[in-house]
Amino acid sequence: MEINRLPKVLLIFLTLFLIQEVLINQINFLVAGFSLYLAFFMAWVIQDQRNSAVVTGFIAGLILDLSPTLDAPFGLWTLVLTSVSYLLSSNVRAALDAELSPLVMLSVAVLASSFALALFLLFGAILGQEVGSASYLFRSISGNALWSALLSPLYIPLAIKLYKVTLTARQR
Amino acid sequence: MATRGSNRSRLLWVSLLVTSLFIITLDLRGVSLLSSLRSGTQSVLAPVERLATRVFSPFGDFFSEVGNLGRSKEKIDKLEKENQELKSQIIFNENTLAQLESLKGVLDLAGKARYKTVSARVISKGGTGTFSETIVLDIGSNSGVRRDMTVIAASGLVGVVKSTTAASSIVLLMNDPSFRIGVRVAGKQDMGILLGQGDKSYSLQMLSARSAISVGDVLLARGSSGDRPFVPGVPVGRVSYVENTVGQLTKEGRVNGFVDLNSLSVVSVVLSAVAGDPGDALVPQAPRPAPTVTVFVTPSPSPEG
Repeated sequence: MEINRLPKVLLIFLTLFLIQEVLINQINFLVAGFSLYLAFFMAWVIQDQRNSAVVTGFIAGLILDLSPTLDAPFGLWTLVLTSVSYLLSSNVRAALDAELSPLVMLSVAVLASSFALALFLLFGAILGQEVGSASYLFRSISGNALWSALLSPLYIPLAIKLYKVTLTARQR
Repeated sequence: MATRGSNRSRLLWVSLLVTSLFIITLDLRGVSLLSSLRSGTQSVLAPVERLATRVFSPFGDFFSEVGNLGRSKEKIDKLEKENQELKSQIIFNENTLAQLESLKGVLDLAGKARYKTVSARVISKGGTGTFSETIVLDIGSNSGVRRDMTVIAASGLVGVVKSTTAASSIVLLMNDPSFRIGVRVAGKQDMGILLGQGDKSYSLQMLSARSAISVGDVLLARGSSGDRPFVPGVPVGRVSYVENTVGQLTKEGRVNGFVDLNSLSVVSVVLSAVAGDPGDALVPQAPRPAPTVTVFVTPSPSPEG
């Protein structure tokens, strides 16, 4: 990742974190909740080059770890998002067409955010965190997947647009 | 070239993973810098959350109607504006009345038990990515709130204070999967442990093999030493199902909580229990059955007869 992209990426994810904490978390969703931050991150990373994706994953994870209501060790989301971003950019991205269709981005955002939540739980359990009953976890992850799919027309175009904003003219 | 590029990516990835693991290790070893980062974030977020609650809480369901205003033509007359203002005012008043009602209820409960409390507004909730059921209150250590204090609403227990900053505090809700509380059955001395399940119902495990519980029994908090984290006597929930499996050492069951944790707006933090254990004084009154109206019909003689 070019150093001049870093402040823009940082600013975008900090703003998104603020929106998630201040607005989205206040909404009572019918089933579980919705992490706009995770869904947006996945839609962003799938467009990115491998090196930039990994650095973005690390930064986004560090920001998410700042969440005051989080009961997990600091750095756990950093570990999860760094891993997921590498997997997405190196394995999943390579198997997809160069031009990403909205449907592909939707599928990636839904599946990858569910995978990230599951990985977070797994690492948390290894580190001795209470993870709750299977039905609770299933409801949380599937609820998030449902909202990520339903609200994709809102955040996927935004992720595409903002991603392009951070690129230099030559990269575009 | 491609191999060199992918090797470089892998090296970057591994070094960032190692950094993450290093950060986790530091946090688990109790490095205060990392925990203060989170409380610092909470201090920064609290005023924004407070403002967002103030702005969005009364008008949350009103957005669709307000959105129509932008599409209106220039000819929107004064009457329509007044109408919108009045609608906003009504919604605002209804919201304020609902909060007032919650506040009155929680103060009634606290007054009956002679708990010394401080009231707070809920300004945010924990997100999906946290996998913990939490809320954020708009008061903190400046108002006397400390970690491990009981939080109550009008109908009973809400949770326990997990952490505080100067002007905000985070409460672990009683439906969090890690939540455990010692309870006793109202009117008896049978004790058990209530466990959060992440939803509206809770799991109950009685401590003694001879404990007798039945559907409809009310459970109260047993209280902790020094009243922290739990003051005694707070209504927790009502038994909805008792498991009668042969060979079970102790009885288990399901409990419905008294408080709807999804619609909290005003709660109280119990600073101390002035009069000690209130016993069963806070057990909610069972709803009175509506009187049955009996109508006697006397057939009148037919005009033909």
